[in-house]
Amino acid sequence: MKVGLLTIAGLTSILMSSAAFAEPVSLTLWHMEQPPHRVQRMQELLDEFNKAHPDVQVKQEPQSWGEIYAKAPAAFAAGTGPDMLFAIPDFTTVIKGIDAVVPVDDLAKDLDAKHGFVPATIAPYQYDGHTWAIPAYNMAISMWYRNSALKEAGIEVPKTWSEWKAAAEKLSKDGKYGVGLPANKQLYTDQTVYALMVNGGAADIYNEDGSISFDKPETVASFEAYGELQKLSPPDSTSWTWGEAEACFASASCGTILQFSVINTYETQAEADAADLGVAPVPHADGQSESGTISYSNAIMLTTKDEAKQAGAKVFLAWLMEPANYGRFLTMEPGLFLPVTNDGAEAESFWSDPIVTKYKSQVETMVANAKNGKLFGFTTGKVFPSIGAISGQNVIAESLQKMVVDGQSAADAVKFGQEKMSEIAGK
Amino acid sequence: MKRTLPQSFVLYSGLVVVLLIIGLPFWWVITGSIKVPREIIARVPTMFPQSFTLQHFEKLFQSTDFPAYLVNSIGVALFSTVITVALALPAAYAFFRMRFPGRAALYRLILLAYAFPTIVVLIPIYGFFAKVGLIDTRTSLVIINVAFALPFSIWMMRSFLSTVPREIEEAAVIDGAPARVILLRIMAPLIAPGIASVAIFTFIASWTEYLFASVLIVSDARRTIPVGFAGIIGQYQIDWGLLLAGATAATIPVVILFAFVGRWFVSGLTEGAVK
Repeated sequence: MKVGLLTIAGLTSILMSSAAFAEPVSLTLWHMEQPPHRVQRMQELLDEFNKAHPDVQVKQEPQSWGEIYAKAPAAFAAGTGPDMLFAIPDFTTVIKGIDAVVPVDDLAKDLDAKHGFVPATIAPYQYDGHTWAIPAYNMAISMWYRNSALKEAGIEVPKTWSEWKAAAEKLSKDGKYGVGLPANKQLYTDQTVYALMVNGGAADIYNEDGSISFDKPETVASFEAYGELQKLSPPDSTSWTWGEAEACFASASCGTILQFSVINTYETQAEADAADLGVAPVPHADGQSESGTISYSNAIMLTTKDEAKQAGAKVFLAWLMEPANYGRFLTMEPGLFLPVTNDGAEAESFWSDPIVTKYKSQVETMVANAKNGKLFGFTTGKVFPSIGAISGQNVIAESLQKMVVDGQSAADAVKFGQEKMSEIAGK
Repeated sequence: MKRTLPQSFVLYSGLVVVLLIIGLPFWWVITGSIKVPREIIARVPTMFPQSFTLQHFEKLFQSTDFPAYLVNSIGVALFSTVITVALALPAAYAFFRMRFPGRAALYRLILLAYAFPTIVVLIPIYGFFAKVGLIDTRTSLVIINVAFALPFSIWMMRSFLSTVPREIEEAAVIDGAPARVILLRIMAPLIAPGIASVAIFTFIASWTEYLFASVLIVSDARRTIPVGFAGIIGQYQIDWGLLLAGATAATIPVVILFAFVGRWFVSGLTEGAVK
């Protein structure tokens, strides 16, 4: 009788543990790729992954960048947060600040060994002795122009600020503007101003000790150059975000703009002559020898403390970074999302996309530009929490507005930026 | 008194200016939604469309979840409106007619809830709703909309109640009508324009509410138009035709509702109410 009971108990426990083992790990992924075609592509990939991995099931819940800074902390505090969360570098500092992200050191090391991360894409996520997110795609600002417009004006693609200004002056005729640079207190202006700062030797806004080093001659010179070019921009550019600049370029009203990509808009809303679309590195200061740019490496954080879920999430991320899958992930927005791995940059699944194929030379230039990308607050190898607030409050753009809109000198505008950033960093 | 020619000129000029200020944005959005992309993004805008296409509407209804957002918005706005009116009417009547301790103070106090910055209570409300399992439900949006619309609705409704001659109410009291009957059978028909105003106010506020809808709703299938639409548009690249088609499609239900149903609603209720 006793033996029988023990046998039944043993079998029951085996069956229960088998049932528990068979229970799939369910993961929730929050990303901010809300446009319907991106959601659809993500779902295709998830369906494929879920089918191939019955023990790990991933579902997506698209969110918006506009609200995620408030929504994610609230969700984690309430215990309803996701297991994986898309991020940009300054958002990672916010989530790390509330202790909701777990390091991914081993996975990052494995993926780097297998696929080779572009150093500039993973560096913004490596600090305090850990890697805090796995880079997923990169975006880098380039200068866009029309080959026909430059040819007609008899000018070469500008490489320096003075060449750019001269080209913009020549292109400014017949109601057209040689350049379209924003001066809005918004992230786009942060990005375009910083693109010039990188090319003027003013990439670092922090000192090693965390104090602000914004106010320096290189920043003032970058502001002055931006101001000169901004005068050649349309008068409404003081309220522009990315879309307005793109529309100005697509309608052939702006000769040159700084933008992550115009390919999609150019293809769907303009004349779409691929051969006429030109892209080049952001021009640099006359004293510099090569161009850099601002780049945003978007990444995926692990935000679950459950070890089984962490293991499942790592299986998913490893699967996503496989070249056969990764190219299809990137081409959810062809011509905008750039690879963060060396083998991703060569993946057939990326280059076979019809839009990428059509604009191959432009995409190749974008990929090359992205390798020289930097991001304000993430250049010294140390990351300070105040960068989240400096970025969120658009202090760089606000400083530029002091010059462009309020008529202050570049030196005074930069001085204002230094004081405002120092005030934020001191809190 | 007959208007002089200069008076008429000033009057009609003013009307035209007001009409242009109100109507031009609508004209711009609606005509833009039927232009081809190149005409939309042209630096020199065209006041009258030089092209015609329905491609933006096709994309809106075939490639996006806009129809689901539309249904969600209509449901949330209608429930919010009905509940707000149902609560505001008796509450306003109580503040208007009944005597109870602290009535005046409470009446002033409820408006504080309306004046409260919503962003301040966003996180606490999220935490509370998470505890009671209301995150990612349309019910949560209805509760929020009612909570924020009710104080002002009570104030509006009480103002309308105060315009009803006291003799009408007294006649009902003499006939032995209880408070419920007086409110529903006598007062409600007499302040029908007020009820309609509260309904319109609540519907529009619920229809356009963005902040809570963006934070409390997690899944795409439960999003309302403002939030779902913001996602469709995207951040770095804007499909201007889709944007204009969506704005047109989001506006039309409200315009139809209040241009026709609203007028019928008001006239139907007020007809024969006062003899």
